[in-house]
This record gives sequence, structure tokens and C-alpha cells, in this order.
Amino acid sequence: MKSSFFLDTLIYSKRSIITILRNPFIFIPNLFISLFFLLVYEGGLSGISELPAFDGANYLAFILPVSIVSAAIGGAGGAGQALVNDLETGFFSRLLLTPSSRLAIVLGPIIAGMLQLLIQTILILIIAYFLGLEIAAGFGGILIVLLLTLGWGLAFAGYSVGIALRTKNAQSAQAGTFIFFPLIFLSTTFVPYELIEANWLKIATVINPTTYLFEAMRSVFIDGWEFWPLAKGFLVIALLCAVTITFSAISASKAVSAD
Amino acid sequence: MDGSIKVNELVKTYKGEVKAVQGVSFEVKEGEFFAFLGPNGAGKSTTVQILTTLVKPTEGEILVGGINVKENPESVRRNIGVALQETGIDSVLTGRELIEMQARLFGFSKKEAKARAVELLNLVDLTGDADRPSGKYSGGMRRRLDLAMTLVHNPKILFLDEPTTGLDPMNRQAIWKEIKRLNKEEGTTIFLTTQYLEEADQLADRISIINEGKIVASGSAEELKRTLGFDAIQLTFENLEEADHASKVLDGLGENIEQTKHEVTIYTENGTKLLSELVRNLDEENLSPKTLNVKPPSLDDVFINVTHKKKERV
Repeated sequence: MKSSFFLDTLIYSKRSIITILRNPFIFIPNLFISLFFLLVYEGGLSGISELPAFDGANYLAFILPVSIVSAAIGGAGGAGQALVNDLETGFFSRLLLTPSSRLAIVLGPIIAGMLQLLIQTILILIIAYFLGLEIAAGFGGILIVLLLTLGWGLAFAGYSVGIALRTKNAQSAQAGTFIFFPLIFLSTTFVPYELIEANWLKIATVINPTTYLFEAMRSVFIDGWEFWPLAKGFLVIALLCAVTITFSAISASKAVSAD
Repeated sequence: MDGSIKVNELVKTYKGEVKAVQGVSFEVKEGEFFAFLGPNGAGKSTTVQILTTLVKPTEGEILVGGINVKENPESVRRNIGVALQETGIDSVLTGRELIEMQARLFGFSKKEAKARAVELLNLVDLTGDADRPSGKYSGGMRRRLDLAMTLVHNPKILFLDEPTTGLDPMNRQAIWKEIKRLNKEEGTTIFLTTQYLEEADQLADRISIINEGKIVASGSAEELKRTLGFDAIQLTFENLEEADHASKVLDGLGENIEQTKHEVTIYTENGTKLLSELVRNLDEENLSPKTLNVKPPSLDDVFINVTHKKKERV
């Protein structure tokens, strides 16, 4: 690694941030969908939290992680989209022709995506606060939620960047983001595990890593500081990050070396 | 670091199947204007990509500016400027931002990058549009911006892959003027690929033509025309039928025959000598050409002749 690695990463991150800021349509629809989830599910489904399986939890606190995670997926997916765009226009080749760090070329959009996701999450939390959210774990809980979101975002960014560098075209990369649906909806999205009826959905819920993320966030919002849900949440994220970031690193080294 | 290029027995095989480049060797001296020509799919682009570190060679020794591209690609990148046909430009950033970013990536400080951008924008006549997003530029403006970005670090060697394809005459002239200036005044080595052979004919000190992964001709434009040693007899006909007919009748008469629509060209060692026989043959078939010309070969003729598939030759 050469000495200008950090500077190069800074330059590429700045460029990606400028691109996002000048194209509000990169993040507005995504934020809109997340808030839509929050408001519609809270408005339409909050009555079911009267059921005993909810243990008296507030439905807003229950559904909030769904909104946060869906926003995170969108934000992190943007990193892959940005790279696909560069690959398709040929700008990526121009960057490869500079003596800059190869890793920095890929990291720039990821860092910008993480920043976008952080700001989105804070916005969603603020709106949830005005809707009456109470966080059982207090202020420290917010940091935990942000950390979980970032970790999740990073894992998904690794996935989207890997797909982007491998397929090198927008349609395939777009198709790759459809994993969003099973990830978000084949889980304890709307009701706790005990209330899920279909067996196949129960199995899917257990396999789906998002479930552990939902549970970790909910434990912070609803129950306060509990060890196991957080431990499981962070462990699952660490594993996912390890897998997807390795995947993107391999794809990246293939894309930049072009044998 | 100098401005030379040395390629020795370059081979590029893709995934063990296609041999895109099959043992190519050539040399470009410092300050030389070198044109690299060849039909589509001849191995031209692959060679350029290898010389510019985008693709790794399978075999062979390649020194660009005296530096081995395989062992030290990063140093090579610092010393070359590359305007590839397919390199795009971020359409969101402005022309100024793009040049500044490029300068920063080549190690300029913020202040130096700003100053360099002002200089280059002026050079390619984009000062007035410097702060508009490049996505709003016309094709010619984008190409000029691309050239400016390529020149950010004062490269000793400039690789230009069809830099004027699709440009209007005015933009073409502007680009050529600047490239000529770089070559003549600053001694920049130019490595050019182009579809416009008259460009190579006028500008290049030396030309190499690649076909099917091999170099088939090398030399100055004049040398190439001379070594061809052929005259071209050019005939045009009233309609396609006659031209087709004439093609059949005259096939085998010269060394090579070529037909494009109404025009039939016969390459032969001595045009005037063949003429009487040619006219007699046409007469027998009641064919009369609209025009008939005997001329020394142009670079186009050289190109067609050396890249023509062997089996079509007589």
C-alpha cells in the first residue's frame, strides 16, 4: 500500500458525496419508502401490539427497525450502483489509469454510502421520536442502533459492490438488490416469532440474518440493555461483513487487474 | 524515465483460448509520433491496454518509459497520459472539478491542482464552461476536457486511442493542433491509434500496422507506400451489376482485387503494363467503366493490402 492511500480515499469519498448531494433522487425515494413503512405499518397495524405475544411493547418501537434497515439497504446499495455507473461510462478505467490506490477507488463510494445511511437513520430516529418513540436503553441505545445499522450497511455494501464489479452492468446489479425483499420480509417483520403461522416462514425467519438485527434493535428500544439479543445481532453482522467484504475484495481485485 | 516504448514478443491470450496478440515487437523512440493501425479486432486495443497497464500481458517484455509495465505499473501510470476511446467522464462533476480531482490523484496539492485546472481549461478552450456539469457538454467539449485531464501531470508519453472519432472538423482540428504542439514543442512521445488513415499519413513519423495479432507492416508512410510496390488501378461503373461482373472478369489479373460498391480496385506491380490487357478483357464482356485511374498507392491501399485476408489474395 502506498502512502497516499488515505488521501486517495478522501478524494474518492468526497467525489461520491458530491455526486449523492447533487442527485437528491439517489436518497430521497429510499428515505421516503422507509418513512412510508414506518407511518403506514404503525398507523395500520399498531392495534396488534395488544396481543399477548407483544408483551405490552409499543408497536412503533417494534416496527422502527424495519424502517431503519430498509433505509440502510438502499443507502448501502447506492455504493454498488455508483460503481456500476462508473464501469458503464468508462470513468472507472480513467481512475485505474491514475497512480491512485486501487482500494481507494472502491472504498470511496462505500464510505459515502455509509455516511448517507447514518444521516438517514438519524433522520428516521428523529421522526420516530416525534411520533412518540421511547428508547428503553436510553441515549446509549441510539449509539447501539447506529452501530448495528452501520455494520449492516457495510455488509450490504460489500454485497452490492461485489455484484457490481462482477456483473459490470446496471441491470444485473439492479437485479441483485432484489435480495432486499426476502431479507426484509421473510422475518419477524410485522409480528414476533410466536405469531408467525406458516412453518416455511418460521424456518426462513430463523435462517434470515435480518431477524437477529431486528431483535437486537428491538431489545434496545423495548427492553433496555439485554446481553443475548445484542451479542447475537453483532455476531451475525460480523459474520456477514466477513463474507460480503471478502466477496467484494476478490471481485475488486479481479476488476482492477483484468488478466 | 524517458519517453520511449519497447515491446518485445508481446503475447496476450485470453483464458487460454483466443490469442489476441501473437508475438508483437516494436519500438517507439522518445519524442516520436507513432501511429498504430489495424482493422477492428486485430489486437490494437489489447496492445494499447497492455501498454497502459489496464491489462496484463501473458508473455513478453514491455518497457514504457524504460519501466517494466508488469513489474511496476504504478510508476508507468505516473509517466503516461491516456485518452482511451471508451473512457468516460463523471457527468455530475464540473469540468473544473474533474481536472482538479485528476490533479489531486496525481499528487498535486489543492492549490497546485486549482492552478493547473485554470491553465488546462484555458488550453482546451473550456474556461467559459468550466463550472457547468460535464454531462451538459457537447461531444467535442467532452473530448477536449478528456484531453485536458490526460495532460494534468505533463506526461512524457501520450496514448491516444482514436481521439477524434466522431468529432466535427472544428473539434478535430483543435485536438490535432494541441497534439502536434505537444509533440513538436514539448517533445512528448505520441502513440496514436486512428481510423482515419490520412491523419496517420500526415502526422506520424512512423506507422505500424497490426493484423490478426501480428505486425504486418512498419515504417514511415512513404516507406510503406514504396515497399508496397503496387499501383492501384481504379475503375468505377455505372451500376452494381457491372461492377460485380467486372470484378469476376478481372479477378486474377493483378495481385489483388477489391470491390466497394461501384468501385473496383486492382493492385498490380505495374499499372500501365497491365492496362491494355485489362481493357481488352472488359471489351470482350462489353463492359465499359465510367472512370479509370492508375495511381501510386495511398496509405489506404497499403492498409487494405496488408490486412487483406490471405485467402482472398490471388
